[in-house]
Amino acid sequence: MLEIKDLHVCVEEDPSEKILKGVNLTINEGEIHAIMGPNGSGKSTLSKVVAGHEAYEVTQGDILYNGESILELEADERAHLGIFLAFQYPVEVPGVTNKNLLRQAYNTIAEEQGREELDPLQFEDHAREQLKLIDMKEEFLERSVNAGFSGGEKKRNEIFQMAVLQPKLAFLDETDSGLDIDALKIVANGINELSGEDNAVVLVTHYQRILDYVQPDHVHVMIDGKIAKSGDKDLAIKLEEEGYDWLSEGASVL
Amino acid sequence: MGKVKKQKERTFLQDLLNFQGSLNGKSKFLDEVRLKGAEEVRNIPFPTKKLEDWKFISLRDLYKDSYELASDLDVEVPDLSEHYLPESKGARLTFVNGSFSAEHSSTEDIPEEVLIGNIAKLAEEDNDLLKEHLNKYVENNFEEDVFSSFNKAFLKDGVFVYVPEGLTVDVPLHMLFVQTDADEKYFTTSRSVIVADKESEVTIVEDHIGLGDNKYFNLPVVEINAEEESYVKHTKIQRDSRESIHIARTAAFVHHHANYESYTITRGAKLSRNEPRISQRAEEVEFTVDGLVLIDGDQVSDTHSVMDHRFSHCESHQLHKCVITGKAHSVFNGKIFVRKDAQKIDSFQENRNLLLSRKGLVNTKPQLEIFADDVVCTHGATVGQLEEDELFYLMSRGLNEQQAREMLIYAFALETIENISVDSVQDLLVDEVHRFTENQLDSKLTV
Repeated sequence: MLEIKDLHVCVEEDPSEKILKGVNLTINEGEIHAIMGPNGSGKSTLSKVVAGHEAYEVTQGDILYNGESILELEADERAHLGIFLAFQYPVEVPGVTNKNLLRQAYNTIAEEQGREELDPLQFEDHAREQLKLIDMKEEFLERSVNAGFSGGEKKRNEIFQMAVLQPKLAFLDETDSGLDIDALKIVANGINELSGEDNAVVLVTHYQRILDYVQPDHVHVMIDGKIAKSGDKDLAIKLEEEGYDWLSEGASVL
Repeated sequence: MGKVKKQKERTFLQDLLNFQGSLNGKSKFLDEVRLKGAEEVRNIPFPTKKLEDWKFISLRDLYKDSYELASDLDVEVPDLSEHYLPESKGARLTFVNGSFSAEHSSTEDIPEEVLIGNIAKLAEEDNDLLKEHLNKYVENNFEEDVFSSFNKAFLKDGVFVYVPEGLTVDVPLHMLFVQTDADEKYFTTSRSVIVADKESEVTIVEDHIGLGDNKYFNLPVVEINAEEESYVKHTKIQRDSRESIHIARTAAFVHHHANYESYTITRGAKLSRNEPRISQRAEEVEFTVDGLVLIDGDQVSDTHSVMDHRFSHCESHQLHKCVITGKAHSVFNGKIFVRKDAQKIDSFQENRNLLLSRKGLVNTKPQLEIFADDVVCTHGATVGQLEEDELFYLMSRGLNEQQAREMLIYAFALETIENISVDSVQDLLVDEVHRFTENQLDSKLTV
């Protein structure tokens, strides 16, 4: 589904600031991947670049989605293809309700994909169903997007949006950070419910804690802009026990 | 050298005084008011950039042309019903180029006890309440101001409302000022006086609309007296023609336990200058002077306000928000005075600017003169752009750039719009915001 080939990315404003230095990654339908790594390793940037953030420039390599390069596509065009990014720091949009943002988003994507749009009532039914997943009440729909939300509520809202928009490929950027155990369980449960045979989820995380609740098929570790090692859940456990240092040494040897 | 300087300051506005006579004869009271105004105009020079309070804008566009009196024009008035507010269908006074139009007005939903009428007629009838209140507030709040004197010199018509003690007027009063299209450049003016007696409540919508794109000079002056325990809500919407000049004054007195809440929305005019001046007249007073400015192209919008805290215990609030795109220019100067014995003042002022283009310009200047020692006065100003992260967030959900920008600008403007209690006004303002974002030609962010 997603093929990242030798991806080199720098900051658009300052090309000397290189963040990704040759990332290779393949993600297939039905898979759950975890990307871990120390701060500054580039894992958040990778998510944003896949989603189309204009602050970054691809200097080398490619990103293929279902076989076709998406480098020239804008963020909204990538969303229309079914790509979703759950933000590390979700943005507040006061004056716009969750319901209205999502209905407009849902219908825009549906239109682009040739699917049926939902009228306000149909959409509310659909949205209400997904609320159960994140354990929120109906009034949540009427609240302004992320305005006055606690950290946990913002993260749950990201999962809610994912549930409503039903993307094919979802990157979750540190969705677990700052959550207490109860919120974490809700978020993890949401992710589990939403991931299936037809879609893929990439969990970008700093801590292995969430991986106790969401079983990844593959675990990758990023160090200094590249994927230093790939493995399975055991790799995550080893990182938890030993930290990242042993990998850096390994990378420099390579 | 001296001669050249004099020519630069010359305007054609004074010439209009020669035509003032055509207004006289129907009311001795107004004749005297106008005479006094004319005298003042002859003695006060028109402002230039050399004056501190006028240094950010150029009045050259106003001064360089000569104007005709709007009342001298022959105008054909088209159907105005699209501009009526449904809530005020029986509570509307309409003025066309400054003259009252009975045909487009209706007062059938207004309680009988309320005195409401157009000033020309009430002056002819020698109405005592009108004589008691007219000019009292503007003369107190605006000294040595040639524009209010100019308005006085040509005072002919406008709204007079007197709400008696204890009465709550449920229906919002729509003051509709329509400026028509014309080949000639004209000068139009109006004076409105709103008096809310003790314990009364009234909501007014002051609405200025230009029907064409023609150039005219509109000089409205509004006087408000909120007596003890009264509550006056004042929404002003300015959608004058894109080539016009709109210079306005609002003078308000707010008495003991009274609340004056105003929202001014600026969308039209090539050059607009709003000057609300609020005078606290007793202890325990509340007032709000919020604003929303949406400007593009080569528009200039200047708000110079004065909040004068003269007694203890006052809560005042001013949130002035501006969205600037194209080559537009926004100026804000909010003066807060706190007199020596005015303790326990809680005053909030903020000017937030959303600058969306490379060539847009913002001048913002809070001005605090505080002479009491037990006060809380916060003031702030921000100038920002649409955050790239915010745009990315919305676009990553599938909205295209236009939709995302519109949503963020709407969210910015909503804080002011949602406070307006008249639903149809909220709706029309939301439409204005949508149209505003659609019109943006220079749609790239600055860095």
